[in-house]
Amino acid sequence: MNQSFIKKNRFIILVLALLLVLDMTSYSVARAQQATSYTYAEDEDGYWVRTQDAYLPYLTVTDLSLSGAEEMFIDANDILYIADTGNKRIILFDLNQGQVINEIKAPVMSSPRGVYVTKNGKIYVADTGAKAVLIFNNDLSFERAIYKPDSPMFADTNYEPKRIAVDDAGNIFLVGEGVYNGIIQLASTGEFLGYFAVNDANLTIAQRIQRALFTREQLANLIDANPTVFTNVFVDKDGIVYTATSGMNHNGMKKHATNGGNMFVDDVYSNPELIDVYVDNQGMIYTASVGGYISVYSKNGEEVFSFGSAVRTQDIAGLFTRLSSVAVDSKGYIWAMDATKGYIQGFKPTEYASLVYSAMNLYEEGHYEASMEKWNEVLKLNQMSVLAHNGVGKAYLHAENYEKAMEHFEVANNKGMYSEAFWEVRNDYIQDYLTAGLIIIVVLLIANAVLKGFDKKYGKYTALKGKVSEKLKNTKVIRDFYWAFKTNRKPFDHYYEIKKNRQGSLLGATSIYLVFFIVFMWYQAGKGFIYQYTDIEDMDITSIVAGFFAILILFIVGNYLVTSITDGDGTLKQVYMIPAYGLMPAMVSLIAVTLVSHVLTYNESFLLTLALMVGIAWSAVTIFIGLMTVHDYTFKETVKSFIITLAFMFIFAVVLIIISIMSESLFSFFGSIGKEVFWQ
Amino acid sequence: MKIKKTVKTALALALIAAFLFSAGNRTFAYIATGRDTKMPPVKSEAINGKTDDFNLIYENDKIAYYWRDDRDVLAIKDKETGYVMKTGADFPFANDIKDKIKKLKKQGVSDEELIAAAEDYAGDLNATYVGIANSFLTIEYFSSDKIKYISSASESGAFSELTKISDGKFKLAADFEEIEVSLNIYLDFTKNEIQITVPSEEIKGNGKKNIAAFDFCPFLGASGGVINRFNPVTLEYEKMDNYRVPGYVLVPDGSGALIRFNDNTAVFDSYIGDVYGKDYATETYYKSALYDDVPAKDPVMPVFGIAHGNGQMAFVSWADEGAEYMDIIVNHDGSKGASYTWAYPRFEKNVNFFQLYDEKGNGFFKQMDDIFDYDISLTYSFLFGDGSDGDYPADYVGMALEYREHLMENGVINEMKYRNEDIPIRLDFIMGDAEKGLFGTKQVVATTTDEVEEILSGISEGGIKNINSGLIGWQKKGESLNKPYEMNFTGSIGSKNDFKSLISKMADKGIDVSFAREAITINKKMAAYSGNAVKAISNWYVSVDKSEVLPAKPIISTFSYINPETAAKWVLKLNDKVSDFSKSLTLSGISNVLTSHYNRDGVVTSLTESLELYEKTLGGINQDLMLNLENPNQYLWKYTDRYLQMPVGGSQFIYENDSVPFLQLVLCGTMEMYAPYANFSFYTDDCVLRMIDYNLSPSFILSKAPSYVLSDSFYSYLYSTEYVLYEDKIYSIYNRINSILSEVSSMDWVGRTVPENDVVINSYKDGNTQKHIIINYTEKPVTYMGITVNAESAAVVK
Repeated sequence: MNQSFIKKNRFIILVLALLLVLDMTSYSVARAQQATSYTYAEDEDGYWVRTQDAYLPYLTVTDLSLSGAEEMFIDANDILYIADTGNKRIILFDLNQGQVINEIKAPVMSSPRGVYVTKNGKIYVADTGAKAVLIFNNDLSFERAIYKPDSPMFADTNYEPKRIAVDDAGNIFLVGEGVYNGIIQLASTGEFLGYFAVNDANLTIAQRIQRALFTREQLANLIDANPTVFTNVFVDKDGIVYTATSGMNHNGMKKHATNGGNMFVDDVYSNPELIDVYVDNQGMIYTASVGGYISVYSKNGEEVFSFGSAVRTQDIAGLFTRLSSVAVDSKGYIWAMDATKGYIQGFKPTEYASLVYSAMNLYEEGHYEASMEKWNEVLKLNQMSVLAHNGVGKAYLHAENYEKAMEHFEVANNKGMYSEAFWEVRNDYIQDYLTAGLIIIVVLLIANAVLKGFDKKYGKYTALKGKVSEKLKNTKVIRDFYWAFKTNRKPFDHYYEIKKNRQGSLLGATSIYLVFFIVFMWYQAGKGFIYQYTDIEDMDITSIVAGFFAILILFIVGNYLVTSITDGDGTLKQVYMIPAYGLMPAMVSLIAVTLVSHVLTYNESFLLTLALMVGIAWSAVTIFIGLMTVHDYTFKETVKSFIITLAFMFIFAVVLIIISIMSESLFSFFGSIGKEVFWQ
Repeated sequence: MKIKKTVKTALALALIAAFLFSAGNRTFAYIATGRDTKMPPVKSEAINGKTDDFNLIYENDKIAYYWRDDRDVLAIKDKETGYVMKTGADFPFANDIKDKIKKLKKQGVSDEELIAAAEDYAGDLNATYVGIANSFLTIEYFSSDKIKYISSASESGAFSELTKISDGKFKLAADFEEIEVSLNIYLDFTKNEIQITVPSEEIKGNGKKNIAAFDFCPFLGASGGVINRFNPVTLEYEKMDNYRVPGYVLVPDGSGALIRFNDNTAVFDSYIGDVYGKDYATETYYKSALYDDVPAKDPVMPVFGIAHGNGQMAFVSWADEGAEYMDIIVNHDGSKGASYTWAYPRFEKNVNFFQLYDEKGNGFFKQMDDIFDYDISLTYSFLFGDGSDGDYPADYVGMALEYREHLMENGVINEMKYRNEDIPIRLDFIMGDAEKGLFGTKQVVATTTDEVEEILSGISEGGIKNINSGLIGWQKKGESLNKPYEMNFTGSIGSKNDFKSLISKMADKGIDVSFAREAITINKKMAAYSGNAVKAISNWYVSVDKSEVLPAKPIISTFSYINPETAAKWVLKLNDKVSDFSKSLTLSGISNVLTSHYNRDGVVTSLTESLELYEKTLGGINQDLMLNLENPNQYLWKYTDRYLQMPVGGSQFIYENDSVPFLQLVLCGTMEMYAPYANFSFYTDDCVLRMIDYNLSPSFILSKAPSYVLSDSFYSYLYSTEYVLYEDKIYSIYNRINSILSEVSSMDWVGRTVPENDVVINSYKDGNTQKHIIINYTEKPVTYMGITVNAESAAVVK
């Protein structure tokens, strides 16, 4: 626009600008309602916890007379496009004006179920009835239809486009009715390019058989209400494809790389009834589930909020009878559709949500300091916000304030990032104290040598040591306990001593079991933060204790029973002792792992795994040799008796479960007879 | 040059006009949120309702009452303006009027006679619904497991007769032959009121046990509909839309909500306001569950009303007896196949419930053998004009003031004896609870007695003087594992002496600190159900599954309610123990939940008995202690000194167009009123303005420790309580509200108007002094009464 034009038309431009400003604020003025459902976020253990309201119910559009509409889309000018399936039209609703501004009707349109508008204003409609993709120009005139591709690869496949998205190159992504292979990808010309993303890996065998044999009606009538199928597809402003899949608790929402693979590294929680996915200009991802939940994710797939309720509406704003679509306008307002009631419900982000988003954006843009300030404000409103603790932690990490970062990552239970921060802290520590530590070690070594020299001369220490060890050796329990350290070094010889009742005792074995149990519990609960995967309060102590002893007792009893009918020599007492005297390597490795886990980061986790594996394998081999020696079995016989013992354990456990279920049923049977007699 | 300028100006003006036009259309598609009060309806033109076939039965200087015997319709006429409201739609049955016209045509009467005889008849109601629409009383009855309707004005199967007992007193004897029920309804006319009573013992007949409910005057004040109107030119009937009365229904949803008479495209479910909440003992199923939706608010008062036009005619209706069985029903235009908005009170007499006989869920539906036994007393009070004559105006404000006057006359509420100039603030503390430990449960500590003392003293020294505080979770291992009356202390929070010293030290500073207790919920870890929990009508203990709303691994997730007798007994015991410590007591649960109690022989405590028991019990306690009650039902208002967690707005039903402070208008000046905790999404500027608008004092819930210590406890929903985070907000919110409301703290709230959308003017009066508070919710300054109020702020006009 040249200067003189502006000068000449100042007045009009001013008025236009004024109108624009007025118009922009026109619906943000109205106040949102109170929340009608709670907002949840994931806590440090991945459980849902309540948080400040993120979105509040806002304007409702109830008078569009929609018929079976399921999908909508918002373009860059905040025009809402609704695929009004039953009325065979696409409605254009201007969100700023709050009114219908146009509609697309065409003879070819039969049951439009999906709609997508490209950057250049072309409107793509997925029409299951017409079995076609219908394309309209930005003046709403009909351009062309894309019917079933004639590629032989596509020959037998059903072609009823249900949902649609289009990338900048004009590639079309379709969710097809009854197509389970994946997202159908068509070139702009309509040529079949293949299946873009595939979900098949998650099908159970039964589901595969059903898919292969059943008709569509039968499939629809299956009891499994949430089959693993693609329910929606979306292309964001950068051309990235997103899909929604129902029937999955995790990773039902995917962000796809160009090869179709999932770009999210970590597991992403997703509602099994997922029906829609939408991405705003900032890359925030929104999903809707049929049950009535709307979730918001960061561009990396971290879940930010979830709100809504499974309660079917009583016409309360913000609750849905059947939520079918979600879309987001340029102001960040969410618009959601109730397919049964035909409502469009708006949601306005709260100050809290805006704060969270601005903190996330600042971090993304590299303004770590500023983002930390915002995150701290978020923490004021919700001290339990894992997102905020992670945000502050990351900002500290960037600022190289690793200890502060560790604090926040610990609250957020972010073990990976904690490990990174800890690595740095440990590194500093090692650098600071390495020299001092080495000096101390050298000094101690020298001192030791000197002392030993003295001792050689005077022999006081050796005498004392001899006395103490003599006394310990004479205490039977300690001697019997100590035997366990020997068995794993020469298992054949030392188990033979046990077989001959010359070494080891019941008391010794029992004390080993008890010590092992204590070590085991310590291992369960006492590892360093990075490696302690379950919190103590989340542990089911009863089942750990009961499980530990039940398995042990079952093994001993089972092995004794099995070996006594297969000519094993071992007595019950000996069978009781065999595992105990083989446990030492496992016990030592558990102690070592538990101790070392406090100073290791994830980079060295293989050390722990290795130590644990060696310890357990060593113990297993020792116990195996113990069984062989005590029962006087060949290798083959030992393997056989071992397998039969395992089978016995399994059968016995099953019998126990059956008995408990039977007795419960019997009890309730008599109970209900009593009640029936009373009520009839 | 000049011409060009004119063209440009014209173009600009046209653009502005286009914009304004489109702005005007804005409301067309959106249903704006029901959060605010919008401008009043326009004038109603439905003034002169015909009363030709009616008999005048009673009149005074203001109102004349007419009765139409064949249709059971009572007409109420404002003598000054002639505006008429009728208790029924006053429609002829279609067949009757069509036959009549046919006959007249056959007789060859003159056109004038034909036109005079040709009444409008309903275009979208069948004969049953015409009966209901006309009726003074409709009975809902069970026919097998289904509910059917029969009205006192039915085409057949029922007849009624109005007889005069004395001046202004009448008896309507109704005989519902078809269902073998007869009853007497007494009508008592006084000044602007009709009082309707139905004595329980006068309900007779073999079909009595089948009565499901009584619906009174279902079409009183209704609007909408399609009618057949006689065309004087063609002399034929033509179908057309009936006149849409501009107006609204007031429902006691939360603080009060207006459902305007709208034409709806969508089909809405009926509004059902169960007065005093659900009776969990007589629900269809004894089991229920909480989910992640915010539960809809239950009416705490048995009142509703309808207003026509802008200050023209309105009524407010309330129940003095039978309120505990009352539902307030609003059917919307477009629902039930008809285009009327109609509202009425429903009194439940019997229920359909599922009788289980085993744990697996086998059972059958049945109804009670004996109907609920209670008298009904229902009043309709009529309001006329805009209030300029000194009477209460015919709008929701007038309804509130009229109802307030009625409650005062009956001693349900009383003027507060002492009103402080500074408004009060409520600062509750969450002290502790239990969570799952390595073995069993372990104590969680959020705030100790010393910390409470430190915080309260700090705030008091900081300049806020009128403070009161409730202590929540003060027991060893929290309130869910202790019976309401149990006083087990733990040193980690504070010993008995610590609490004594805290409360007395604070009392010296003028801060009232009280123990808070939820006193209606029970779980099996707290006490055995036997003898303590509510048994439902099906003889099973009422059970509520809260696992969806509790943290992942709760100590217990199934709860029930304490039965009324035990609840009363336990609260009395608690009172005995508490009175050693404090001069006040904070109760929740028992203040808001009303249930009956059954055993296998039938009713043990009826809803009415339960209500009376709580009234008596809390009345007794209130003689010794101040009572701070959380959202109390109306029957406890007499004993409420502080109303905590007062609802602000309704349940956000889509069809609710406005939220109004009806409850606040009724109770202002009779007790201290507190808003919900500002911690949880109630801290924004908008919320502060709303507290000023609704005349509410702020409240906070605080802890010393960060709130994540509570994350595995029953209080996991208190996600933001740490004092240091709220210290500034407490002062800023309090000072903002106090600076306005302290100006009117000893005055009566007498008016509330909305001169433009999002601007509210509240009027307060004390003798001859009058003050106004202008609340500007908009994002631009506004000027009223000579005062400019900044965007999103409020000001007092003296």
